[in-house]
Amino acid sequence: MRKEDTVKLISAEGFEFVIDKKAASVSNTLRNMLSSSGSFTETQLGEVKFPEISTPVLEKVCQYFYWSLQFASGKETEFYIEPEITLELMMAANYLHT
Amino acid sequence: MAMFIRVKRSKTTYFIQCEPTEKILEIKQKLYSLIDEPVENQRLILLATGDILDDLKTLAEQKVENDAIVALTLRKGNNEFEDINIEKPEDHRNSSEVDAD
Repeated sequence: MRKEDTVKLISAEGFEFVIDKKAASVSNTLRNMLSSSGSFTETQLGEVKFPEISTPVLEKVCQYFYWSLQFASGKETEFYIEPEITLELMMAANYLHT
Repeated sequence: MAMFIRVKRSKTTYFIQCEPTEKILEIKQKLYSLIDEPVENQRLILLATGDILDDLKTLAEQKVENDAIVALTLRKGNNEFEDINIEKPEDHRNSSEVDAD
């Protein structure tokens, strides 16, 4: 595991989630940001700020990325979503093309 | 990828991919590459039970399951480990936004 292979996602409250780039690439939006050659400052710093996404929702999004990778590799488990964050989570998912 | 764990300290969460058969020492080595803290200065605690995880035992042996939250504490100057410190977003909310309720 190398630092260069990870990306840091930062929530509205300034909480940080360090995830594998492979996991981040579950999101089309993030994949485009990370793969574009140099035009995003995010690509160089390896961090992406989400001032509109709250901490619990961003954490759920990251858990979803990993769950999705597991699901793709044949490990089919349920993905639990707390009812109170459902709406905000859907808006984040829409933005992230996830 | 067999499983992942969430390693938390302060305001940061590290998502670590791992196998149930991996030893805690291997997890600490992965963390070392991310945070530059040598393995001997790291302590990992399974948050659900409060158990300090043993370097030489595997994740499975210590009941660390998929998506588990593990607290990371670091050795302080006086050679002791700091207390578990995981911040929650609620602690920060009152300053940045004022809710109407």
